[in-house]
Amino acid sequence: MTRMTIPIGPQHPMLKEPLSFLLTVEGEQVVDSLLRLGYVHRGIERLCQERSYLQNLYLLERVCGICSHVHTTAYCQGVEALLGLEVPLRGLYLRTLLCELERVHSHLLWLGVLAENMGFTTIFMYAWRDREIALDIMEELSGARVTHAVNVIGGVRVDVDEKQLPSIVERLDELEQKIETFLGVIQHERTFRARAQNVGYLSAEQVCGYCVVGPVARASGVNVDARRDAPYAVYDRVHFDVITNNEGDVWARALVRALEAIESLRICHQLLVGLPDGPTMVRAPRRVPPGEVVSRAEAPRGELIYYIRSDGTDKPGRIKIRTPTLTTLITLPDQLRDVNTADVAVVLAGVDLCIACADR
Amino acid sequence: MKLDLILEALREVFPSHTIETRRVPIDETIVTLPPECIRPAAQVLLKQFGVYHLSTITGQDTGGEIQLLYHFWHGQGLTLCTSLSRGDARIGTLTGLIPGAAFYEREVSEMLHVTFEGHPDPRKLLLPDDWDGEAPLRKGFSVCLPREGQRAELGEEGSQ
Repeated sequence: MTRMTIPIGPQHPMLKEPLSFLLTVEGEQVVDSLLRLGYVHRGIERLCQERSYLQNLYLLERVCGICSHVHTTAYCQGVEALLGLEVPLRGLYLRTLLCELERVHSHLLWLGVLAENMGFTTIFMYAWRDREIALDIMEELSGARVTHAVNVIGGVRVDVDEKQLPSIVERLDELEQKIETFLGVIQHERTFRARAQNVGYLSAEQVCGYCVVGPVARASGVNVDARRDAPYAVYDRVHFDVITNNEGDVWARALVRALEAIESLRICHQLLVGLPDGPTMVRAPRRVPPGEVVSRAEAPRGELIYYIRSDGTDKPGRIKIRTPTLTTLITLPDQLRDVNTADVAVVLAGVDLCIACADR
Repeated sequence: MKLDLILEALREVFPSHTIETRRVPIDETIVTLPPECIRPAAQVLLKQFGVYHLSTITGQDTGGEIQLLYHFWHGQGLTLCTSLSRGDARIGTLTGLIPGAAFYEREVSEMLHVTFEGHPDPRKLLLPDDWDGEAPLRKGFSVCLPREGQRAELGEEGSQ
């Protein structure tokens, strides 16, 4: 059969962010694909070296619009370790709370994108409507729906009022019910299963070889989670299950993410009940003593790693960021091989791409 | 402890080299090795200890040399560190052992002009194809930030 090469992107209605693909197809079947990144590369790592530690907080929050809070979490805990700062427990609790709310809203956003790419507009609308509950809570806590600017070096800049708590708990329960509904759709809706099962398969060997992290790895049966494996903030004080599945396809990823969102809500409840009294932050000096630090955190898409080197000035010598999406992008040619062209959109949505994160 | 066993194994494989280790936060051990030992060391980690997860490769220009840090994870952080000369920075690729290293190496390669010998796909990863050749993360690369005055000008334009 004749081969044809179809360019997809960098601008394409299916893609939420710029990314370029060259798909080689034979009839309706994809035989090869070539990936091109860098359309939203902003040189953030280099820019960090020109700015003070405090200014970088502002910059790093903008690496990603969806998981902005976890970026500053990884950065702040790294700088705090270099400074030897002891962050007050209340600050760590609130930091963790925001991390988990962010995971819930990110997973719901992802479910919406996946459903839309499948042509399942109802679930897209419902998922994005219910995601607003998480965003509203975050707005109440921080003053912003996205880019919350909650983390500062030495803690968090916001505090929660005792009076706010009952309303937050109530809405978290409401959100859990909504996610249970989505879980039912993922598990039982025949069309959804038909579109998602046996599509975008990754074996555990492929996941390990490509160093894939996060829900994509867990949906292939690789049990990794930085929250449990390298506990940061107050993850060692809460109980949660790491959700895994052995199917390795887009359906398994949907299931893992929906169950994970419910686990996140469980964590939120524990954090709100156990919220200790006290200050939320300590003052941090401007200059950071010389040293190096490797800071890991579990972003909604998996392990996020920051390497920070200080030369003893008020500006970092080097900040290296590796975002989880970069590890999943490398698997795309493998996932796209032999799929039907109609399933390309599902495969792309299935890995939860965040191109702004990957390009930095 | 697994870490002690790994370090012992590395000392056995490279008896003629002194292997320096240093602890850094957060729970990370950095092992310094000569460039030619990185691939064999990664092989030891992978084959003997099942350490398959390479979190990333950090490249940095320390002024005197190009330093590469291979951040592995085995329930604890383990970083292999090596230094290359600034004039001729080259090292063997890890892609044969760890396919996931491909993107990390491409990024280090374009940002610091390090050649990864044997890399199957040494195209640019993030920079444009027609990038003029300066390495953005090398010392001496100038970043054009707007000056205070320029910012004011831009602001005025924006308000008109």
